Amino acid sequence: MTRRQMPFLFLLAGVACHKDAVAPPPPPTCSQTSLLDTVPIAPNYGIHDMFVRDGIAFVFAWNSGVLIYDVGNGVKGGLPLCPVLISSLVTSASGISGGPAVHNGWWFWNPNTNEKKYLFIGQEGPAIGGIGVGSAGLIHVVDVSDLSNPHEVAYFHKAGTDSTGTHNFWMDEQKQILYAAYYNGGVVALDVSGALSGDLSSRLIDSLRIGGKGNTYTWGVHLYNGSLYAIDMLSGLWQLNANSGALSIAGGGNNESARYSSDCWVFGGYAYSGTWDWIRRTSQSGAMLKVWQLGGTGAPAPVDSIITPSISAVSDVEVSSNGKVVMFSAEGGTNSGLYFYSLTNPAHPTFLAYYPVSAGLHTATFGYINGNVYAFAARNPGSPALMIWDVTSLVQ
Amino acid sequence: MRLTLVAALCAATVPAGVCAQSGSSPPWIRLAGEAIPVLTGTNAVPGGAATAEARLVQPVLMVQAGALADRVRLDAMADLEGWTIPNGELTAGAYGEGFYDRRHPHTYVHELMVTLPDVLRDLGGPAGLALAAGKGFAPFGTDDPMGRPPMLYPVNHHLSQLLERAVAVAALRTARDHVTIEGGLFNGDEPEYPSEWPNWTRFGDSWSVRLTVAPAAGLEWQGSRAHVHSPEHRPGAGTDAEKWSTSLRWERGPRYGLLEWAQTSEAGGLYVFHTLLAEGAWRIGRHRPYLRLERTERPEDQRVSDDEFRSARPHLDNSIVGATRWSIGTIGYGYGAPVAAGRLTVQPTIEAAIARVARVGSGLFDPAVFYGRRTLYSISFGVRIDWGMAGHRMGHYAGAPMPPGMAMPGMEHQVSEAR
Repeated sequence: MTRRQMPFLFLLAGVACHKDAVAPPPPPTCSQTSLLDTVPIAPNYGIHDMFVRDGIAFVFAWNSGVLIYDVGNGVKGGLPLCPVLISSLVTSASGISGGPAVHNGWWFWNPNTNEKKYLFIGQEGPAIGGIGVGSAGLIHVVDVSDLSNPHEVAYFHKAGTDSTGTHNFWMDEQKQILYAAYYNGGVVALDVSGALSGDLSSRLIDSLRIGGKGNTYTWGVHLYNGSLYAIDMLSGLWQLNANSGALSIAGGGNNESARYSSDCWVFGGYAYSGTWDWIRRTSQSGAMLKVWQLGGTGAPAPVDSIITPSISAVSDVEVSSNGKVVMFSAEGGTNSGLYFYSLTNPAHPTFLAYYPVSAGLHTATFGYINGNVYAFAARNPGSPALMIWDVTSLVQ
Repeated sequence: MRLTLVAALCAATVPAGVCAQSGSSPPWIRLAGEAIPVLTGTNAVPGGAATAEARLVQPVLMVQAGALADRVRLDAMADLEGWTIPNGELTAGAYGEGFYDRRHPHTYVHELMVTLPDVLRDLGGPAGLALAAGKGFAPFGTDDPMGRPPMLYPVNHHLSQLLERAVAVAALRTARDHVTIEGGLFNGDEPEYPSEWPNWTRFGDSWSVRLTVAPAAGLEWQGSRAHVHSPEHRPGAGTDAEKWSTSLRWERGPRYGLLEWAQTSEAGGLYVFHTLLAEGAWRIGRHRPYLRLERTERPEDQRVSDDEFRSARPHLDNSIVGATRWSIGTIGYGYGAPVAAGRLTVQPTIEAAIARVARVGSGLFDPAVFYGRRTLYSISFGVRIDWGMAGHRMGHYAGAPMPPGMAMPGMEHQVSEAR
């Protein structure tokens, strides 16, 4: 070989060494889901979560605020097929860099007073030091007694030596307690009884860094059968005692170390949790739906897991109200979209349906409207949208 | 197919002998181009593997023109990397625009600027005023790495330059260009893919200023400051970046050196990234050794599962999962091959780099897990084919047009003497 030939050898060697990534084939799709509508949301960043109740869909749309749609309530003639915007509100940025960052919410129906007055909104500020380390953001309280005229009336900021910020909510409506996942702040219990106004810092009942400092980044909470289940990105699924808001550890924890955990839902003696794999925690690839059986004390023990290749996160998990189907949204890969698994055997879900959405879905939730079941999902940027499917035949 | 494309682009870039005329009057036009076929092998690969790729990088065609007795000037550059490296160029530590450890392709229209280089010329005053507008560089930081000796980009490209923006620049300079102050308005959004234009509706949401002092021939100091609104989120919902840069550049005869420091603070100071870089080159006959030392911090974004060289774009919201510090030493050697074809220069070059990557803070991103190691290497062999690029220092719209025959620092040094 001559020196003149050397560059060509290098060139050929380089071409031969390069292997383009080959994505695995997507799961089979199913015709039992019917896409009804796609409602564009301003790319500001876009839509993050939804809360659907009584035919009203609250769409949490980052710096566009909360958008309130009639999707079957009738107040504006809207339907799942044709949502009608009732009103919107951009909550206060509260000095958080990045703006209002409206992420999630819960419409509080107070069974003691029959009021449907308050909407709690989670502000997901910047992750200070990075995801898994720090967070920022407040809980904002919006008066929605007149859905066409929502207005902010109160806020809660968790004080402390380090910055913490809120994520997903659950409520004990009977006891008028809001439970909030608080990332590196752990779990917060807040008394939301009576009239809410101004600074609610005095309403804090308790807070708990469930995995300890440096091992806590709590994604979500779910009240079930007297226990509060908290899913933590770093330290896994926990069972907490939540006696009128006083928090203590009952079981679980430090039980998922191969991947970072994401969302969870608890139903019928089982918990279903996802994983967040935008960055691998270990060499294991693919995102997972993990199944936990709750023992006699309610402590979770893993019984099954379902790996979905070519996604970066099982980003939201929910079980249908009749317990027949678990649904999860997926993002960050070629197999992104909406997945449904049958819970005929709740310990070992079996595949039912997949609806591909290439941009990925950040969250998904069921809506029960006029006897039908719908899936509402948040499509990611660059064309963020509220997507609505009729999944009645799948779920019932 | 890829080899055919490489050959075709080389053929289109290399031919010589097109008009090369410069002057103050009459109208003039000058064409130039550059391309580097390069083979790079590296173990800066997610998952712990090593890989090698041959690509054609930095294939650019440049047009400069002047008219109306040089009262109006055009700087245009087409960059074909969207075709030749659509998935980026293997470059340890490089990041930006949705790429990691692959330097992203630039946009097809890399620069398209119309300049009035001396608005006050007819007044005969001691100062000069230049006005420029179009798509190009904001007046901030140091020269684009494309015009500097190493073949592979440094990590700090997105900390030290602001480019491919819809920009309007005003530049005031003293006689003999000893002091120049530039100010620019531009759009904050970075490109997301090669065919994308700036978001025109965001023009003016970001600004930068740069003060340049040239106390002696070949010696230049600059200090820059920029406010960039939502660079990572095109519609404008992202956090802002506050940027600072200072550098000392020296170029005289066959010798070239650069020392720079820059800092970018994002989200109101929640994330702060620094860079310190020193590089130098020396031409000795046909030989051109060069060296670059760099220590740069970069954000680590969420990666996409199908391609861990890529991060999610557009952002979903919070996407930073940590930060890393890259300490890289790069050494290279180029040989100016004899070519009897006018302005054409051909320089076979070998370049090697060794990098040490460390976690900054306590984010989720752990380089030891991600790469399977903390010490990474890169070795490249390429041929820099330059056809009259003439040392066009992109982003400097204040001065007079570059005289023909100028060259890249450390290659053909006729620049400093001309000043």
